Amino acid sequence: MAKHKNVLPGFNLSLGYTLLYLSLIVLIPLSAAFLKTTELSLAEFWQVVTAPRVVASYKLTFGASLIGAVLNAIFGLLTAWVLTRYTFPGKKLVDALVDLPFALPTAVAGIALTAVYASNGWIGSILEPHGIKVAFTPLGVVVALTFIGLPFVVRTVQPVLEDLEAETEEAAASLGANRWQTFSRVILPALWPALLTGFALAFARAIGEYGSVIFIAGNMPMVSEITPLIIITKLEQYDYAGATAVAVVMLVISFILLFAINGLQWWSNHRISASR
Amino acid sequence: MSIEIRNITKDFGSFQALKNISLDVPSGELVALLGPSGCGKTTLLRIIAGLETPDSGNILFHGSNATERDVREREVGFVFQHYALFRHMSVFENVAFGLRVRPKATRPSDAEISKRVHKLLELVQLDWLADRYPPQLSGGQRQRIALARALAVEPKVLLLDEPFGALDAKVRKDLRRWLRRLHDELHITSVFVTHDQEEALEVADRIVVMNHGQVEQIGSPQEVYDAPASPFVYQFLGNVNLFHSRVNEGRAQIGGIELQLDAHQETKDSPAFAYVRPHDIEVLKEADGEHAFEATVNYIHAIGPLVRLELQRADNPELIEAELTRERFRELSLTEGQSVFIRPRNVRVFLNQVA
Repeated sequence: MAKHKNVLPGFNLSLGYTLLYLSLIVLIPLSAAFLKTTELSLAEFWQVVTAPRVVASYKLTFGASLIGAVLNAIFGLLTAWVLTRYTFPGKKLVDALVDLPFALPTAVAGIALTAVYASNGWIGSILEPHGIKVAFTPLGVVVALTFIGLPFVVRTVQPVLEDLEAETEEAAASLGANRWQTFSRVILPALWPALLTGFALAFARAIGEYGSVIFIAGNMPMVSEITPLIIITKLEQYDYAGATAVAVVMLVISFILLFAINGLQWWSNHRISASR
Repeated sequence: MSIEIRNITKDFGSFQALKNISLDVPSGELVALLGPSGCGKTTLLRIIAGLETPDSGNILFHGSNATERDVREREVGFVFQHYALFRHMSVFENVAFGLRVRPKATRPSDAEISKRVHKLLELVQLDWLADRYPPQLSGGQRQRIALARALAVEPKVLLLDEPFGALDAKVRKDLRRWLRRLHDELHITSVFVTHDQEEALEVADRIVVMNHGQVEQIGSPQEVYDAPASPFVYQFLGNVNLFHSRVNEGRAQIGGIELQLDAHQETKDSPAFAYVRPHDIEVLKEADGEHAFEATVNYIHAIGPLVRLELQRADNPELIEAELTRERFRELSLTEGQSVFIRPRNVRVFLNQVA
């Protein structure tokens, strides 16, 4: 390896610290989960993680998280747009509201959402006659996961949107681009990396979410039971190895998905700063 | 295509940016809107482009009213001070943008687009940068790409907002000569905004001097420099000495001397300002009749082809700036602190109506 002279000193120290820190906080606890699963034989492991009830929970967790993250990407972008582009009374208040899902204990969020979306709640009572049931269905899970992921997209996109020069949009217009072309060809490509980051964060957060979901989901096996709940249930039955087995599967899937999103991001960044 | 500007007014809140502006830009001319910052020149340019709407008045392109026409349909090329290139697109794609966003019916084929973009890049002498991205270019290169991008849509009018404002002095000089040559080649009606009088004087066919949302003077560079229509134009275009004076029946009193004027024959004893360019201040070692007054040499600044003197009048504390050729300076063999006599030439007197 060639010896590089760095402008900033302390590379070894800071890298060492980073590795130690990551090990203590992330890697060692996670590898403990892997270790614990080795108590099961491969056949047992396979049986646990492919049980129909567990598979259904993967589908719900990852599916609902994905839908929630996509919804957040779309409406978070819209919210960020409104917050940066327009001035209106109470804008500061709305801006502060965006962060609320961060601060609120997830259980409180879950109870509040359930109260509102239950068949006798404010919104649930309006939707119910139209045949839309939210609380205690997979739809409720999506609602909860969208709620907790909202700030991520808004907060990652907002600063980029603020830095975007209004002049580039005017330039596009003067070159004959209509509004949609200006948005899709000029604005969106500039926002893409931030949007992707926000999406990844919201998605990751949704996969691990527990507190807000269990109240609104109803937790019916095979229908509205999320994977984190399965793990908790197994823990409560003192099935530690089974719980960690499911956890490991979740970890691996999450890691692959996040890794893929990172790759996508690297690719889109690389395209911009290519050919140096 | 000619541009006619008719009675344009624009307010921003209580600030009057443009006050009833009327102006003609003949087809094929390169016109400079010159003025200090905040004079409304950029606002006027943006109204011509359709990026801003006037409160009242009309913009006519070749005789037809374009006031309500959208930017997209005005067929103008707009060049921004800070380039406004699309960072995520290569230089090629930046220039091709205007062609690619055309509706299918009028969009050229990919091969045609490629041909036209390369031709434009050759025109701005940057064909070799086609695959680069804007952040990898220097300021001067970016602005030339921005110009190529604006020209790609074959605009009828080219509008440039302080196109060289963000560049350093050397590049600015090169680019403005280059712009002049480009204009001589293409003959596209162009309006550019600048606060740099040197730039306007060097590049433009005609200069529109603006101040406080109004047009002060319109004329060729020669006209506005040699015969400024107002004290403002005098002060804005080049250095100038100002003397407090009194005018009576065609004669002006400045310091101890009296000058015969062509104008102001009817004026009866009224206060006035007299303007003299530094190079029109003659420095003499000895008093020459009544037409000179005494001053002391304060500073001598002898860098470059001209020697600049700062002179202190003997009769009042006002400072006078004079420019001499090196030959003349040597003849006089001046030193700081020396007493001399000065004689203004080509004096222009404006009556002081305000006071």
